[in-house]
Amino acid sequence: MKKAFKIIGIIAAVGLIAGFLVYQFVYNKPHPDYEKEEAVYTLPAKKLYQEFKNQTDSANEKYSGKIIAVTGKLDKVVNTDSLTIGVFAFSSGMFGEEGIRCTMLPEYTKKAKALNTPTNIKIKGLCSGFNDPDVIMEHCSFNQ
Amino acid sequence: MKKTLNILAIFLLIASSVSAQRYITKNGYIRFFSSTPVEDIKAHNRQVQAALDSESGELVFKVLMKSFSFKKALMQEHFNEKFIESHKYPNSNFKGKIVNLDEINFKKDGEYPAKVEGKLTIHGVTQAIEEEGTITVKNDTAHAESQFRITVADYDIEIPSTVRKNIAKEVEVTVDCKLKKRKQ
Repeated sequence: MKKAFKIIGIIAAVGLIAGFLVYQFVYNKPHPDYEKEEAVYTLPAKKLYQEFKNQTDSANEKYSGKIIAVTGKLDKVVNTDSLTIGVFAFSSGMFGEEGIRCTMLPEYTKKAKALNTPTNIKIKGLCSGFNDPDVIMEHCSFNQ
Repeated sequence: MKKTLNILAIFLLIASSVSAQRYITKNGYIRFFSSTPVEDIKAHNRQVQAALDSESGELVFKVLMKSFSFKKALMQEHFNEKFIESHKYPNSNFKGKIVNLDEINFKKDGEYPAKVEGKLTIHGVTQAIEEEGTITVKNDTAHAESQFRITVADYDIEIPSTVRKNIAKEVEVTVDCKLKKRKQ
């Protein structure tokens, strides 16, 4: 009888620990640390923009949802109510400048605002895809 | 006579293109909100493109689905991979028109009720919608705001049975876009 209680107790404890681990690491798992993640691809900003513009489907498959780093001349940094965005501009259209828009991580906004644009730079971030006519990168960081 | 008419036509064309005034933003805000007894889920997108032609009333919104951010990483994964299938349908959009354009004076600051009709495409499915909102004109900005509900099933979005109790059948959509007058 005592042994049976012991076994039930162990099973209950294991169940509780398993439940906690599932909650903590699956249900409640944190977002990736975008600053520390390694870039899957590193390429010139203009090449990325042209790939999305000319072969949107294949570029989506290749880059969307992945951490990538782009290099090139950052034309300007713009600020909205809540975001700081680095802009690589390659053409102009109905929506104004067209290119790559890199939304900075909060800890990089001050540094981005201080950039003396245009400037050559390497920016890393999560590629969210192509919101025609712009490639969108988010959670961006850089070293300069 | 024919030459005069041609000149007049060209003049009118130039005059209409000069008077056409476009308001744009690349950082509009859209929020999804789902509420059930099990949990409330919010998703925010601050990368919305919007364009409004104040002469014709034409209105366009373009949304990248992967730009929606959730508090829980797992919910964001489920949203992209299982519900909205953003690898297959990366964008959503709305194309429509303000139908009470004559009640909105873009040359005078003020808050105006706006009625909008058009086609909303989500998850590759297009539905006709009619919604109401406001447009607040201030200086060179047209601030478009609206809140409405969409039925998830109308857009062929299947919710797996394991999380069916967590996600509402109707989701509240909030639109908040500050469009700036584009210099011609």
